[in-house]
Amino acid sequence: MPAGNAQLVPIIWQQLPGASRAEIYPYIRKVDVISSNSYLIRTPDAILLIDPGGLTDQAEMLASVIAGCRAERDRPVFVILTHAHVDHFNGMRDVPAFAYANTAVLMVQEEGALALERGDRFLTQADMFNVSIPPIQVGVHLFSPTRQDQADIPVELYPANEGHLVITRSPEDHAGNRTAHERIMVGASLVVDCYHTPGHSPDSICIRIGSLFFIGDLLFAANPGVAGLSGWSQEGLVRSLSMMEPLLSGEEITIICPGHGRTITPKDAASMMTMVKKDALALSDIAEFNRERATEAAVYAEDCMEEVNELFTIMAGRLDYVAYVLSELGEAGIAENASALMNGDKVDELLDAFRSFAEEHHRGQNLSVHLALKAGQVIGKLERSFNKSDLARIIDPSMIRRAERLLSDYTTMFRGYTPPREIAPVDLSSLLDVLVAGFTIPPCSDDDVLSSTDDDSAFAAILMARIGARPLLEDVDFSMEGKPEHLPVVLDRDLFTDLITYVLEDLVGIGSDTIRAEVRTTDTAAMLTITGNVVTADTETGRTRRFLHGLSERAGGSLTTGRDESGATQYMIQVSRAI
Amino acid sequence: MAINGRIDTATAPELEQNINKEIEQGHRKVLLNFAGVSYISSGGLRVLLATAKKLKSPEDKFALCGLSPEVHKILKLAGFTSIFSIYTSEGEALAGW
Repeated sequence: MPAGNAQLVPIIWQQLPGASRAEIYPYIRKVDVISSNSYLIRTPDAILLIDPGGLTDQAEMLASVIAGCRAERDRPVFVILTHAHVDHFNGMRDVPAFAYANTAVLMVQEEGALALERGDRFLTQADMFNVSIPPIQVGVHLFSPTRQDQADIPVELYPANEGHLVITRSPEDHAGNRTAHERIMVGASLVVDCYHTPGHSPDSICIRIGSLFFIGDLLFAANPGVAGLSGWSQEGLVRSLSMMEPLLSGEEITIICPGHGRTITPKDAASMMTMVKKDALALSDIAEFNRERATEAAVYAEDCMEEVNELFTIMAGRLDYVAYVLSELGEAGIAENASALMNGDKVDELLDAFRSFAEEHHRGQNLSVHLALKAGQVIGKLERSFNKSDLARIIDPSMIRRAERLLSDYTTMFRGYTPPREIAPVDLSSLLDVLVAGFTIPPCSDDDVLSSTDDDSAFAAILMARIGARPLLEDVDFSMEGKPEHLPVVLDRDLFTDLITYVLEDLVGIGSDTIRAEVRTTDTAAMLTITGNVVTADTETGRTRRFLHGLSERAGGSLTTGRDESGATQYMIQVSRAI
Repeated sequence: MAINGRIDTATAPELEQNINKEIEQGHRKVLLNFAGVSYISSGGLRVLLATAKKLKSPEDKFALCGLSPEVHKILKLAGFTSIFSIYTSEGEALAGW
């Protein structure tokens, strides 16, 4: 989230802006999916906790702060949820100060309240996070249909904690331009305005107290791994975001308190909501993100991250190599420019963080959904860690394209879509000619270098490309046999190109200086066999093999790996002939 | 020097320190035996480049041996195999020194 000047001081009582008799004690956590922020509010005659969070420790800590307040002056305690997802409430279940209905009265929007009362594992996301939830009694159902016909009529409630609430429902806006609104008077002085904002979940609400606006998970609702959760609604989300815009543009609200992460200004929140709405509008037909899909995403995440790891290490290494050669040539300034295009330390840090997380996952310390989300988070940061267009002018552009495709395919898959492919008739013979030429001919000729010597910046650019983009097969004796003049097949050109590149990189990478390619055909299929001349133990991990097989299938073919008679690694790719 | 395990964010600085210590003690011929190395990060690659920069006098030597296929692939595709020599074993490397 962007930094703003809208910070509350965490874990300390402070005046609640815009509410003269209220104080707030913010419990703000780093963003994760385990537990939300909590916001504790007190007035002389009531205590209100917004979202106790998903962790028992957090709820216990808040319970002790509440106990301190009640020791000074006993007051009824209310707990209000921005929505009934386990990361926002599950921590309170085992904490006596919250666990009994007469000690703290729970207030939840009608649909969330019903989900809690029936112990719904799906709407609460308990199934996704593999936690059990018994039915939980909700003292006050917000936006209850029973008050729908009582617009503008204050309804007094005397809940079990001996508190006093007055709820007033605003008249329904039949034109649908305004979100449903209820004003709750908690005790004598705390005014709590609730706005029903479905989308992230059917029971999501935003809460305004003084000049603070508590918006739950509205800003994260279009994120991969969040969009598509049980109860998620694209239409509802887009409408809720549109309805929140006027509230944020007024001067009444000064600080936005999200369900996760630090507080922000209304201006930042408004621009983020515009982006969330744009993302949400693009999410038609999204698949439900459930436990099965989280497991699938976690497996794909590990396969994908293994390739990402290798590719980004090679790209960062290649840049360092370029910088090294340039500094040896006395071009320190140009070398510095090259190094600045990718933050290698940041890339290493992200890849290490994912690896540690994956190890914890295999030790049973976190769930598939956590791993899938972690991969999404790391991939998002990796996407921002390198300057793609400038980088593609120095190192092999196909490497950059593959890196981009790997990252975007994961996000696409994680979103619940199938990564794109376009199976179409292609002349395999001419495609192979183009690929081999690309792997053999340097991108900058000697003439290019010589003709740029009068222009410093052109010379620097060509020099960097000349050093950085070395053809993959430049030191390899490559031969191709059996290729007919034309061989129409059906495949995805880009994915097939990626597959051949991965295969050749693997053979060159293990030290093959001779590579043989052979094309054979049957009536229905074309088989391309590529063989190196280095005998090694198995170089591919199971994950890499699974990744290449998956890539091959997406490209419209099938891949088998084996060894030739000398024991050298051999890849066989079969594709269908175009009829 | 025999190197073991992963060369990543956590271990690359220590590797650099150990190599520097050897160079400071006057050892200008450095052979890194990578037989025990399962992974190298870009930070690890930068340690190798920094070492190559320090050992570039005609009488110096800097080489690697015993690379696993995975690590060899990273070094080869990053372009590093043209900066320093890579041998299959210590014996092969030292035979030429």
